[in-house]
Amino acid sequence: MPDAVSLQNLLSPGYVVSLIIFTATYALFSLGLNLQWGFTGLLNFGHVAFMTVGAYTTVLLSLQGIPLWLATLIGAVLAALLGLALGATTLRLREDYLAILTIGASEVIRLIALNEEWLTRGALGVPITDQYLPLGALTRPTLPTRIGMVIWWTVLFALAAWQLWRWLRHSSDRPGKELSETRSIPIHKLVWGGVTALAGGVLYGIGAIAIIDYARYGYKVGLMLLLVTVLAFVYWRLEVAVNAPWGRVLKSIREDEEVARALGKNVFWYKLQSLMLGGAIAGVAGAFYAWNLTFINPDGFIPLITFQAWIIVVLGGSGNNAGTLLGAVIYWMYFTVTRFALPAIVPLDDARLGALRIMVIGLLLIILMMVRPQGILGKKEELTLGR
Amino acid sequence: MVDEPSNSPDFSTEKLEAMQPQNLDEALAEVERVAVSPALELPLLAATSLVKNFGGIKAVDNASIEVAKGSITGLVGPNGAGKTTLFNLLSNFIRPDSGRVLFDGEPVHHLQPHIIARMGMVRTFQVARALSRLSVMENLLLAAQKQTGEKFWNTWLRNKEIATEEQQNREKAIAILESVGLAHMAYEYAGALSGGQRKLLEMGRALMTDPKLILLDEPAAGVNPTLINQICDRVQQWNRRGMTFLIIEHNMDVIMSLCDRVWVLAEGRNLAVGTPAEIQSNPEVLEAYLGQ
Repeated sequence: MPDAVSLQNLLSPGYVVSLIIFTATYALFSLGLNLQWGFTGLLNFGHVAFMTVGAYTTVLLSLQGIPLWLATLIGAVLAALLGLALGATTLRLREDYLAILTIGASEVIRLIALNEEWLTRGALGVPITDQYLPLGALTRPTLPTRIGMVIWWTVLFALAAWQLWRWLRHSSDRPGKELSETRSIPIHKLVWGGVTALAGGVLYGIGAIAIIDYARYGYKVGLMLLLVTVLAFVYWRLEVAVNAPWGRVLKSIREDEEVARALGKNVFWYKLQSLMLGGAIAGVAGAFYAWNLTFINPDGFIPLITFQAWIIVVLGGSGNNAGTLLGAVIYWMYFTVTRFALPAIVPLDDARLGALRIMVIGLLLIILMMVRPQGILGKKEELTLGR
Repeated sequence: MVDEPSNSPDFSTEKLEAMQPQNLDEALAEVERVAVSPALELPLLAATSLVKNFGGIKAVDNASIEVAKGSITGLVGPNGAGKTTLFNLLSNFIRPDSGRVLFDGEPVHHLQPHIIARMGMVRTFQVARALSRLSVMENLLLAAQKQTGEKFWNTWLRNKEIATEEQQNREKAIAILESVGLAHMAYEYAGALSGGQRKLLEMGRALMTDPKLILLDEPAAGVNPTLINQICDRVQQWNRRGMTFLIIEHNMDVIMSLCDRVWVLAEGRNLAVGTPAEIQSNPEVLEAYLGQ
């Protein structure tokens, strides 16, 4: 494959739109895991179970004629209820047992989807037609509508840019203290900020082009806009919540739940809330996952999905929502760039290349853990502390 | 949540409430009165016939303890006597096999540990437990009770209230940090504190909950003499303000200088009780400590 063609493919609006959808879906999914693991310290190795429940519920209910928004809401609620059921039975266990039980539960959910054919059509999967997709009927929006969409798209990216700017300009060198302005921006921040700004700028530009040319790229453009909006909303609410006393209780449970208990906090209930809320977020991510693929079957919900979310959370820095977003972007960038660049450099067939990419990301993670064990946006000081 | 435990049939709650000090002056008067005649007062904490077996080992074997309101009560005994287990039973971190615990007139042995803490009995740990990746300030803010912002939906709806409360708690936390001498560390990670400072942090955290009774598990262990003096000063100072303490300690100087009354535990059973001077000259206690 010649280089010029592959680069053209890489930057084509159609491709970028689906890349943004994938990235944002995984970012949403991982934000749920980050709440459970990064903030509460729950070792959830079965996160994909929530996504499965969210995806199947949303799709099956909407096929029955229930409005999409309501179906999605019910999907999220059912995912949260799965968290309740899982949590009520396992949260009193030590954390390693929780890990084993959650991974088991996620496989049970997948096997139910595979075997209960009357409900899920089993391995055949469930296809989704346009009428059951969000904005599926919107194929040719008028020019003013499209301009409105571009303005909204711009607002979303402006908010992201503002967050990035705050992160660059302000630093909280000490935990829990109000942000203070810094004179000089440290180099690692400049590098990461620069990369993020560049990637964001490219994504914004190509996304805007795709919106203007809506009719050509179809419903996925609308889906992208909706998904990024939902992602921004969830991120904002999570940031507020984890910086409120509520989040402080979660963090105290992560650090030492006996202390939280000794200070009068209902540890079990907070863990349950974290598991349920993270589950509901993953459920919503599942709905978008299904709408993007326009087809779901049990093969899409293997444990690997859980561990991709783990890679994203650890990459960005556990307990850091912005880090999780960045982790998702980097993870999918890596996959995209290597998909197009590797065939040009490495003379291997497709199957071997696929394996090589996974191996390389493993290697990169090991290197990252050695150089920056706290993740990209994590705080190094935290790792030097004793218990 | 069931915050309010069921009323004990043995005690009239009204009478107990009437006895609660309303302000500092009353509290001081109360403390004086109790100091003069502790036996006439209903105890703040009374535990009777507590039993706990770990497998075949009787860690606590029919032990009882009583803590008078406004007192500093000591709990001593040789290593392995079951002192820390008794603490765990009192705060219900470990459920007793049998026995009764009355706190402030209410039976609490069937309640969850966090509910007991909310009722005003707060404990510290033998090995001080700092929440490492939170700042010292956050450690204290966490301890404040009845925070609006601890409910998830309130972070959507009542931000102003949360911010006001947070500001008040912050001021209170700073005052407490100053009194335990950690104000200069307020914005450091708690994990960066030394062992002795962690003990102080734990006491500050306990104080932040506005407790009626603080259970201190070896506050002076592994702490340098200067800091021990500081800790003792603080305990006495807070005691004068009406706070009750139950202290496990091996350091006899600390017990001597602080405690009104000392309970001695050996092999999970009550061995003796009395004033520190009485305990020190009790032949049975000496035998348990030194062995014969």
